[in-house]
Amino acid sequence: MDMATLSVVGLMVVPLAAALVAAVLGPRRAAWIRWWSLAATLTALALAVLVTAQFLAVRGVRPPGEHAAATFRPELVPGADPARPHATTWMLLDFGQRGAVQFYLGVDGLNVWLIDLTALLMVSAVLISWPSIQERVPEYYAWLLALGAGMTGVFLAFDIILFYIFFELTLVPLFFLIGIWGGPERRHAARKFFIFTLAGSVITLLGLLAVVAACCQASPERSLTFSIPELILRLRAALEADRAAWLDFQTWVFLALLVGFAVKVPLFPVHTWLPLAHVEAPTAGSVLLAGVLLKLGTYGFLRLALPLTPDACAIVGVPVVGTLAVVGILYGALCALAQDDVKKLVAYSSISHLGFCMLGMFALNQAGLMGSLLQMINHGLSTGALFLIVGMLYDRYHTRRMADYGGLGAKLGGLTTCMVVICLASAGLPGLNGFVGEALCLFGAFATMPELTILAAAGILLGAWYLLTMLRQVFFGPLKEPEHEGRDIADLNGREVAILAPILALCFFLGIYPKPVMDAARPDVEVVAAILRDRTVPLVRPPALASHDRPQ
Amino acid sequence: MTDAQAQALVHVFPLLLPEILLTGLACLVFLGGTVRNGRHVWAVVALGGLSAALAAVVVGRSAGQLSGELNVAPVLFDGLTTLGRGLGIAGGIVFVCLSWCDIDDSRAADWHACLLIVVAGLGLVAAANDLVMLFTALEMVSLPTYVMLYLARAGDEGKEAAVKYFLLSVFSSALLLFGMSYLYGLSGTTNLTQILRLQGNLGAAQETPALAAAALVAVVAGLGFRVTAAPFHFYAPDVYQGTSHSAAAFLAWVPKLAGFLALLRLFGYVLPPGVSPRDLLGAGLSDQTPILFWFVAVITMTWGNLLALLQENLKRLLAYSSIAHAGYLLMPLATAPYLRQQQAAIDGIDALLYYLAAYGAMTVGLFAVLSVVRDGGRPVETIDDLAGLSRGHPLLALTAALLLFSLVGLPLTAGFTGKFLIFFGAIAVQAEHAYLFTVLAVIGMVNAAIGAWYYLRLVAVMYLRQALAPPVPLRNVAALLAIAACAALTVALAVPPGSTWYLHLVRRVTLAASG
Repeated sequence: MDMATLSVVGLMVVPLAAALVAAVLGPRRAAWIRWWSLAATLTALALAVLVTAQFLAVRGVRPPGEHAAATFRPELVPGADPARPHATTWMLLDFGQRGAVQFYLGVDGLNVWLIDLTALLMVSAVLISWPSIQERVPEYYAWLLALGAGMTGVFLAFDIILFYIFFELTLVPLFFLIGIWGGPERRHAARKFFIFTLAGSVITLLGLLAVVAACCQASPERSLTFSIPELILRLRAALEADRAAWLDFQTWVFLALLVGFAVKVPLFPVHTWLPLAHVEAPTAGSVLLAGVLLKLGTYGFLRLALPLTPDACAIVGVPVVGTLAVVGILYGALCALAQDDVKKLVAYSSISHLGFCMLGMFALNQAGLMGSLLQMINHGLSTGALFLIVGMLYDRYHTRRMADYGGLGAKLGGLTTCMVVICLASAGLPGLNGFVGEALCLFGAFATMPELTILAAAGILLGAWYLLTMLRQVFFGPLKEPEHEGRDIADLNGREVAILAPILALCFFLGIYPKPVMDAARPDVEVVAAILRDRTVPLVRPPALASHDRPQ
Repeated sequence: MTDAQAQALVHVFPLLLPEILLTGLACLVFLGGTVRNGRHVWAVVALGGLSAALAAVVVGRSAGQLSGELNVAPVLFDGLTTLGRGLGIAGGIVFVCLSWCDIDDSRAADWHACLLIVVAGLGLVAAANDLVMLFTALEMVSLPTYVMLYLARAGDEGKEAAVKYFLLSVFSSALLLFGMSYLYGLSGTTNLTQILRLQGNLGAAQETPALAAAALVAVVAGLGFRVTAAPFHFYAPDVYQGTSHSAAAFLAWVPKLAGFLALLRLFGYVLPPGVSPRDLLGAGLSDQTPILFWFVAVITMTWGNLLALLQENLKRLLAYSSIAHAGYLLMPLATAPYLRQQQAAIDGIDALLYYLAAYGAMTVGLFAVLSVVRDGGRPVETIDDLAGLSRGHPLLALTAALLLFSLVGLPLTAGFTGKFLIFFGAIAVQAEHAYLFTVLAVIGMVNAAIGAWYYLRLVAVMYLRQALAPPVPLRNVAALLAIAACAALTVALAVPPGSTWYLHLVRRVTLAASG
């Protein structure tokens, strides 16, 4: 096996193997397991960096084309066969001559940074659990590492079934993480999370299967394909032949995909599992939930819903998702404003921030899509960091009520500095990462749906309001510490600095110089934008004109 | 007796070697049981007999092709026969292990002998090519089952379960015979190949379809009892609750296997050689079948899942889960005629045959787990009895969780791959009323999500709650082996190379049938 294969597969195999070892050899070796998990996640991070470097090297060699490619072009595909583009030789379920479900992994501009984000947050998750998890330690780290492998798999998958497989597999570890190591309401939270997501995603699976079945029928040789790039190509060809005939079909498929991904994002009416799960989950669970798992929903829209149902996205998606996103932005922000629990506040702020992400995506233009992708990464960094800091506070004082705190800035200078920076990043202060993503999302969205965008902009204001209110209450003013036993509370220790420093550095870097990230993602964002550009034409054109296009 | 029939008898008997072997051995065991008690002796003998039968099936599978003229023979040897025998014998081996320590020394010989006859009966159902043969074979599965239910559990509960099952089963057999008599009346022959060939002509005559529909309904009702299809499912919770875990595991799978094999044979889903699919589709019986199975599937899975939500008793819960899964298994019977017509890549019957094996592995495995767990000395009865299993027996709990997630349909388990194949078939139907099948797929998916709720409840109880009693060490090695085999199969059927191997196997069965 070559280097690329090893590193891409290693991204998943290393945490998975480490999880197995932890589960089997773990009992009675708690201290050892912590170091072992740290080593595994650091190896995965190194592999992620290696993959990124290889990806950038491969993409850099290719001359930039005049036009956007017709479909995704994953690089570093394990088991790639030069004779067969958009496929691999690694099979998962083989139907003989008629096609196969493939173990099709790859890296492209849409997922490369999300993989890095996952690998980085996995390290933070292991480190933040160091003192706080004392019960059933080996099991805990085994599930945590398995979760990491599953999340990476979703991003890497280029086969529609493989995507779904990993998408579902992330449920199991998180169910146990919340259910066993969570807060007082953990059992309810874990089950609600699991059932909500599963119920949504089975409908999504039906939508995906419908696309595969339709593409199979439309292809001359009736062959099955589950490869996402190949499906996009086939659909494009079919749509060019007869767009009108596919409109109803697209609408149904889009609605099916919407059900599952909207739960995961979460969009407004189906968000209710999120605050509960966030509050009850252990800190590492919250970090990964907010930082990575919610992105599986937005990533699903970007990777599958937009390219596979472009017309339905334009006709149904823009009004429906656009409205829901704005409602989510405002509702999430207002809820955050009303919270007394810091963790709940951050949880609701997630709903609000992901509203921007969805709004940008359903602008259906390049600026919006790019903003949306950046917002995914930024939200992962800043909300992940917010949960980390809240976890650090909780580890010290064992309370999350804001009213119990006051003026911690005087006592915990380092922690306060980090919190202020992250809050400002989250609120979208220029120079920090949040600004770039939100601004691009709003620019993009303004072109498509100006009224909604104006409303959404109010959400930024609300965001600053609740974050600054929280800062003032907890960190400024006269010192007021919650009751705590024993020894004096100290500022950040070395472990905590190691958790926060890379995230803070990336917040500044992405805020000041996001160009490398955007450059790497641009070709693939253009692919989606180009598919949508062709498709949005009938939306803009008056209906009378559009009817002439239909073949008689 | 015509010459062809005489020929058939001469050629057919050698091919029935596995069944003859099993039945002969069963007779010996019955006799031996009168002079010697002992669970170990008879379990080992049964295992030996099953292994010999398996060897006979594997060796005989290539030689087992009769020439086309011998289609008048009451048995038929094609891919489905081999697969049915293989599944039956594999299941038999698992059940012997599972009941090894569950059954009293004095009853072991009878129990294992009955089991051998059931396995022989399953093989004959898979091979049947004649109405009389099929009915006899089905009774060969049913009759020993009554005895086994009686043997499994002493006391009134066991007797109640056995009597309840007996009466309803006899009733369903009568319904089946009634339907078969109509089939005979319509075609004038009891040979299935001939009946299927004639079906094309049946549709042409004006007065026949009403009679054909009556035959269809009666046959489906008779077999519906065996596969626990609604509205013939209602005995299941009571009977399962009244019997032992190993007998409940047996009931959850063996009658289903027999029923589905019989349905495949009767409706020509797997065609005998020499009959082209054109003769069947849209003619006579067949154009009514999708509608009927559509409704039966929807009602069965929805009713099973909804009632499972309300259960506290583990065996009742698994009984309703078994009903729900019968609903999923019925879906391909509705979709397969269309899929075959459009030559779809996944024809529904391979999905059905895949899911039958997958369902067997996961549900028998789960019953096996319940049979080894002791809640302070007594067998577990209610969901709460499982509390804290993950602390006392981590590996066992992990296996149970795997099997439960497979029943939910989570990926990397056979349950997912099976559901994927079934639902993909439903969504791929291209016909005049294709939306009906999309609706079927949606209903199925919603059901899968409902099912997740109660399966997850079991996982939650095992992992998220504290145990009430200290764990009891596990001593039932044979049952633990059965659990390991089921769990391994659940995973092996879902990941390559096992998934591809088994899928190719079932596709050979169905492709030979359709083309």
